[in-house]
Amino acid sequence: MSLTTTDRDTGRPPWRDLPPPPRPKAARMGPADVVRVGGSGLRARPMRVFLSALGIAIGIAAMIGVVGISTSSTHDLNQRLAALGTNLLTVSPGESFDGGQAHLPTTSLAMIRDIPEVETVSALGKTSAKVYRNDHVPVAQSGGLRVTAARTDLLAAIGAELTDGTWLNAATSRYPAVVLGSHAAEQLGIHYAGPEVKVWLGDRWFTVVGLLAPNELLPDLDSNAMVGWAVAEEELGFDGYPTSVYTRVEESAVGDVQAKLGATANPEFPNEVDVSRPSDVLAAKEATDDTLSGLLLGLGGVSLLVGGVGVANTMVISVLERRSEIGLRRSLGATRGQIRTQFLAEALLLSALGGIGGVLLGIGVTIAYASYQGMSTVVPVWAMAGGIGATLVIGGLAGFYPALRAARLPPTEALATS
Amino acid sequence: MTASSHPVVDLAGVSKSYGDLTALRSADLVVHRGELLAVVGPSGSGKSTMLNIMGTLDRPTAGKVRIAGHDIDELRDRDLSALRAATIGFVFQQFHLARGVPALDSVADGLLYSGRGRAERRELAERALRRVGLGRRLYHEPHQLSGGEKQRVAIARAVLGDPPLLLADEPTGALDSRSGAVVMELLHELHEAGTTVVVITHDRDIAASLPREVRLKDGRIEYDSALGDAPAGELVAAEGGLR
Ligand SMILES: Nc1ncnc2c1ncn2[C@@H]1O[C@H](COP(=O)(O)OP(=O)(O)OP(=O)(O)O)[C@@H](O)[C@H]1O
Ligand SMILES: [Mg+2]
Repeated sequence: MSLTTTDRDTGRPPWRDLPPPPRPKAARMGPADVVRVGGSGLRARPMRVFLSALGIAIGIAAMIGVVGISTSSTHDLNQRLAALGTNLLTVSPGESFDGGQAHLPTTSLAMIRDIPEVETVSALGKTSAKVYRNDHVPVAQSGGLRVTAARTDLLAAIGAELTDGTWLNAATSRYPAVVLGSHAAEQLGIHYAGPEVKVWLGDRWFTVVGLLAPNELLPDLDSNAMVGWAVAEEELGFDGYPTSVYTRVEESAVGDVQAKLGATANPEFPNEVDVSRPSDVLAAKEATDDTLSGLLLGLGGVSLLVGGVGVANTMVISVLERRSEIGLRRSLGATRGQIRTQFLAEALLLSALGGIGGVLLGIGVTIAYASYQGMSTVVPVWAMAGGIGATLVIGGLAGFYPALRAARLPPTEALATS
Repeated sequence: MTASSHPVVDLAGVSKSYGDLTALRSADLVVHRGELLAVVGPSGSGKSTMLNIMGTLDRPTAGKVRIAGHDIDELRDRDLSALRAATIGFVFQQFHLARGVPALDSVADGLLYSGRGRAERRELAERALRRVGLGRRLYHEPHQLSGGEKQRVAIARAVLGDPPLLLADEPTGALDSRSGAVVMELLHELHEAGTTVVVITHDRDIAASLPREVRLKDGRIEYDSALGDAPAGELVAAEGGLR
């Protein structure tokens, strides 16, 4: 056994002159192994994993919920607008330059009708008459209802619908007949139309011949009691000036027509004309409250941040607790990089779990809200992808420092902890 | 054995200091392929320190370390990891088995960093568990195993890739004498199958039963039976007073 010891003659054992073996090369771990090893740490502590993932999930759910609800509302509004039509324009007199109420010229309807892209034109004219349930109601209690003169083609022009009775026609518009908007009917306690149903209008009884359905696009109509143009002029002292002109135009020309409608309606004083697009007004009114959404998004962001801190905390504790596991893995041949990858993968999995849970929760919240509102649920894919992406960034940031600490731990020190 | 093969362990003047404390003092030790040796010594004498250096878990403060022909000074940390993955198996006093993980998976993790596929790792793990007599405990979790069985799982994990060098730091330290004997029996079998085995032990009988014995005291190699530096009788007499 002379070779078990130093060659005493030369002082140099013979194997020291052998060529050194090739440098050992660390093997790469496959992605499946990376995920499995990252997940192994989570599987051992399910309760802690659940709680720290919950923090992330709440943040993501809040954000997905806000985006989902606002998207669903917008989608719903767009659908309703498409059904109502976005090609309706209204023209009404503004203020004259001396501050008084301006008039639309009586010729304005004909002028507007001459625009080639205009499909239909009709009008309402405000009267000073009042409407009451009966002749005993004191004059002061008119309940904010308006009496207007309506053209017989108004119903078709604005696309309104009747819930009962008929619209004014050439005959009924000469007689004391009235069609009530939904709010007006409710105020006056009228539930159906018919020859025996009458309201006190101006200074005499008018027969209620029709009831209008609530009009989403033109909610002002709901408070109107509409009578024929002729009877208004004869019985109610109506001056014959239209106060609202409604026109449907070709869908592709809405913008162009809207721009020149004022000048067409009142060529002398185009500035005294107000032109509006009711669908825009409706869209603006129903647009989701940006301040509230912003606030909720901010809250979601804060809870996401808190969730991220929770994940970082969990990871720091995990690394402290698992020093001997780290030591063992180093002894089995794990490189520092592989230890770092393991804990980073663990943090990413943990927050991805929270992210997926949060997306599902957010979709659930959106479905609940949408079905309560009778809307269909729309959650944009970008929001879901963004939510998951955000959690991965958070997981990466939260896991970075703990993973670095785990990797830097010297193997002997790690093994010494029991 | 010829000069055409590198020894598995070649320590030359290796020292390790922690601040003022010198845990290992210019140790010279050569372990050849196929040896089975015991490292003994009182607590704090530097046994674990020396084993960790042999296992490339730590670098010495001074001296030359060659493991299977590799000069440790010339290897980066990741090369040392690769060397451990391919060349060295470790067995510790604490078994280091993860809670809730079946034996088969624990053992298969022994080759996790070797670059071999999962199916092959599990196949080798099953074979290794049969080899240590635990063919019927493949899916047992640590809490369902006795101390001796846990240590056998740990041994299976250390040797499933057939590393040329097995380092065991008091593998019987946490076991009763019967389980300890089974574990030692296993190490003998591995040695007979060609593995080089270095065992740290407190047990004088175990040490005496192995082909080679290295004694440490205060960080120095005081006796190496392969060199016959000091007569065994003298040392036994000297340590007799400590009993
Ligand atoms: N990381 C460290 N930092 C400081 N001192 C250390 C460190 N590791 C070991 N030591 C010291 O080095 C000396 C040798 O320790 P080592 O663990 O090698 O002893 P040992 O022979 O294995 O003892 P035991 O039989 O108790 O395991 C001891 O005095 C110990 O306190
Ligand atoms: Mg020790």
